[in-house]
Amino acid sequence: MRNFLAFIRRFRVFLLFALLQGIALTFYFTFLSFPRSQYLTSTSTISGTIFEMKHDLTKFLDLEENNTSLQKENLDLRSRTIENLFRLDNGLVKVDDTLHKVQYEYVPAEVINSTHTKRNNFFTISVGSDQGIKRNMGVFSSNGVVGVIHFAGPKYSIVKSCLTEKLNIAVMIEVSGEHGFLQWDGKDSRKGTLTGISNDSDVVKWSKVVTRGSAGIFPEGIAVGKVEKASVVEGMPLWNVTILFSENYRTVQRVYVVKNLLKEEQDDAESHVPVDPQL
Amino acid sequence: MSHIAKHILRFFLFFLVQVLVLNQIELGMGIQIMIYPLFILLLPVEMSVFSLMLIAFALGLSIDALSNTFGLHTSSLLAVAYFRPMIYKLFAPRDGYDALLETNIFTLGTGWFLKTFGLLMIIHHFWFFMLEMFKLNEIVFVLQKTGLSLVVSILICILLQYLFLRKRKSNEI
Repeated sequence: MRNFLAFIRRFRVFLLFALLQGIALTFYFTFLSFPRSQYLTSTSTISGTIFEMKHDLTKFLDLEENNTSLQKENLDLRSRTIENLFRLDNGLVKVDDTLHKVQYEYVPAEVINSTHTKRNNFFTISVGSDQGIKRNMGVFSSNGVVGVIHFAGPKYSIVKSCLTEKLNIAVMIEVSGEHGFLQWDGKDSRKGTLTGISNDSDVVKWSKVVTRGSAGIFPEGIAVGKVEKASVVEGMPLWNVTILFSENYRTVQRVYVVKNLLKEEQDDAESHVPVDPQL
Repeated sequence: MSHIAKHILRFFLFFLVQVLVLNQIELGMGIQIMIYPLFILLLPVEMSVFSLMLIAFALGLSIDALSNTFGLHTSSLLAVAYFRPMIYKLFAPRDGYDALLETNIFTLGTGWFLKTFGLLMIIHHFWFFMLEMFKLNEIVFVLQKTGLSLVVSILICILLQYLFLRKRKSNEI
């Protein structure tokens, strides 16, 4: 016992250092994989308020660019409304549709804090579980995909943006339908990579890359970017496709959160996939 | 102004400047400006390593809370606090440190500052970027980030001292 106390006294500095390091590192690594508490994140009330104040001061800086992109989106939507279409046969266009059911709802939100130079970049948005936001909901803007909700506090949430290491959004090349996963190598916030595209198909330069909609996080066909180049992965029959993001993550402000009303049904159905007994 | 109040005020200033100003600045090429290790350097010489580590833990956690890094800053700042006494001993002036003087670029000279603070910042930045990437095969990118951020951060720390500490020193003399 005396030896033990002497040992503690001798290494007490290092022991305290190791203890505090342990706390910090545990917190860091558990939060990256699965967030449990909102303390010490930007979703807590104090930091949320500070960022809201900061955002009020600085939001006008990117206002013009954001307004232009919203106007473009409005133009696009307006051209699709029924008033714009010429009726070929009176009475054929029905508004009360029984063949379609609403699957996605969108919650508008504002990005109040963001980073783009770190290895894993998280955005803070101004909606939370009070508005029905939950973990793993998709987030996109009028230009393209932004990320996935990583943690939802009561009034603010953290978005795991496309600029993170293990995001893995299912995306596809629009023309050919070849699908893979979106990843980011941590270097350039304008470029991402697309993995898992087999190299027996051609990848056309500048073809559009959109979400696949298979996981129920995003609806199908939300823009992600354009193919910039495709290089062969050594030793594997795969393309390594570099894409240019259509969203500028440095200036994004207005975003939408996707609520998939049929997500539970999809998850429930997919949980019945039989597990391979050989595995 | 009493010393404790001065350091508490500095704590909040470093915290707010780091979170609200420097975290928002982007210079490209992976540069990230981090000046808060300067706060640990400016703490009194005779302070024990225990209090240094506890203060570092508090400052790190507050910065982490507002930058969505969940413990990265805490961990690297703790390393700075842990290594500070050793590095101070390594570069001690011939007749030891004057407990009454603050350890900054004016009281101990530019050479001492660059050696001590430089070494602390190398530890801090390398620790930070290594943990952030957590991959050995991207070591070149980690070193690039460390080197470039180091130069910018140290330059800003020197500038800050010339801007805010010069006057107080001439008053003391």
